[in-house]
Amino acid sequence: MANKIKNNIRQFRFENNQMTQAELADKAKVTRQTIIAIEAGQYSPSLELAIKIAKAFGKKVDDVFEYEE
Amino acid sequence: MNRAQKIAWLFVITISLAVVGSLAAFAILYIKVGMPKALASLALIGIAGFGGFGPIVFPKDKGKITCDERDTLINRRAAIAGFGASYLVAGLACMLPFFILGPQATVAVWWLPNIFGAAGLTLFFVHSVVILVQYGRGGEKS
Repeated sequence: MANKIKNNIRQFRFENNQMTQAELADKAKVTRQTIIAIEAGQYSPSLELAIKIAKAFGKKVDDVFEYEE
Repeated sequence: MNRAQKIAWLFVITISLAVVGSLAAFAILYIKVGMPKALASLALIGIAGFGGFGPIVFPKDKGKITCDERDTLINRRAAIAGFGASYLVAGLACMLPFFILGPQATVAVWWLPNIFGAAGLTLFFVHSVVILVQYGRGGEKS
């Protein structure tokens, strides 16, 4: 089943001084593997983690994640 | 590859070696000396015990985040699959003699700990395989 949660993490990482996945993982307090899985759309994060990731970019959750109907 | 994957690989390798080794030894001993001496080959199942050294062989990385919500979820799913599989093995081990030998047959009591052991091996094996499969889907591309 395709993941309906899309994200713009890759784009925001690029816009934030080309932040690495490891740096984002440190900010969100998760492993780099988890960031890779989220970015690839293979794992949908919890609301708490989604907020942490959005905060790491200084954005709202809606800007980083979107649900496709 | 993270620590959970390394430990899972160790379990898969040791349990596979133990099962294949003991089955091969059983086949050879059965031909050479017959039953019940061939049952001594089951001692090779003990090789699987080396999987228990995983947490010592692969210590936690200090100062790094080693476990997050995804790891917890993967471990929980793997545990459910493992316990489900072990329940199935225990169930089959109870029901197969009933259907094959019939309701009036008797089974030696020493089979009971063997069934428990087989269920345990199944639990650890399936748990490890499911961990590897789930992490495998995530990929490592950056």
